[in-house]
Amino acid sequence: MKVKVRFFARFRELLGTEIIAEAADRTTFSELIKQVAQKNTEGYDAIFDEHGHFREYVILMRNAKRIDTADAVRSIVADGDDIAVFPPVAGG
Amino acid sequence: MITIQKDDVDIGDLIKAAKKHGTGAVVIFDGVVRDDNITEMELEAYQDVAKSELEKIANDAIEQFDLLHVDIIHRIGRLAVGENILIIIVAAGHREEAYNGSRFIIEAIKAGVPIWKKELTKTGGRWVPGEHGHGNPKKF
Repeated sequence: MKVKVRFFARFRELLGTEIIAEAADRTTFSELIKQVAQKNTEGYDAIFDEHGHFREYVILMRNAKRIDTADAVRSIVADGDDIAVFPPVAGG
Repeated sequence: MITIQKDDVDIGDLIKAAKKHGTGAVVIFDGVVRDDNITEMELEAYQDVAKSELEKIANDAIEQFDLLHVDIIHRIGRLAVGENILIIIVAAGHREEAYNGSRFIIEAIKAGVPIWKKELTKTGGRWVPGEHGHGNPKKF
């Protein structure tokens, strides 16, 4: 299945704007983002800590709705999902 | 008008358009690029989501503070020192509602709308740290 992963701000600079990833059946959000982020060590380390857990400040969205990073370890991606990964917002 | 755009706007025109029947106060918030030893500021947004969140914030403010009119214009792209970043125009029957509504809108934008700023300097750049970031949406 194909899943879109978008990065913003510092994550975008390190990992790219928009990646179409191939995901195997039963892939979790966490596994998919790790798979995509592994191409750049600095980008991976910006999102995951030394234990492979999402860093406290990372924000995730699935199809324009926020998801808890704790749930991303268990939730399975679906074909056509649009996932966004970004650091704390700083608009205004 | 709720928009995320590169171009600047004429604030005078927006104030004229905001004066609907019953207006007794118009409050303008104009956030500008501060001269913090930077050359420019670069802004980016998760545009679809950011626009829908701005619309929700505007509707919440209208409902909570009995506002008569709201404009939110958030700019993206490269902006020079002194340029407008964010313009919020709020009209209400009285000053209290207008001030409170304007404050509510700017704080809600800073808390959760997916927009980011990078300060560009002569030697590189630095992302402006967010004020409320957390991976747990219950915190927002």
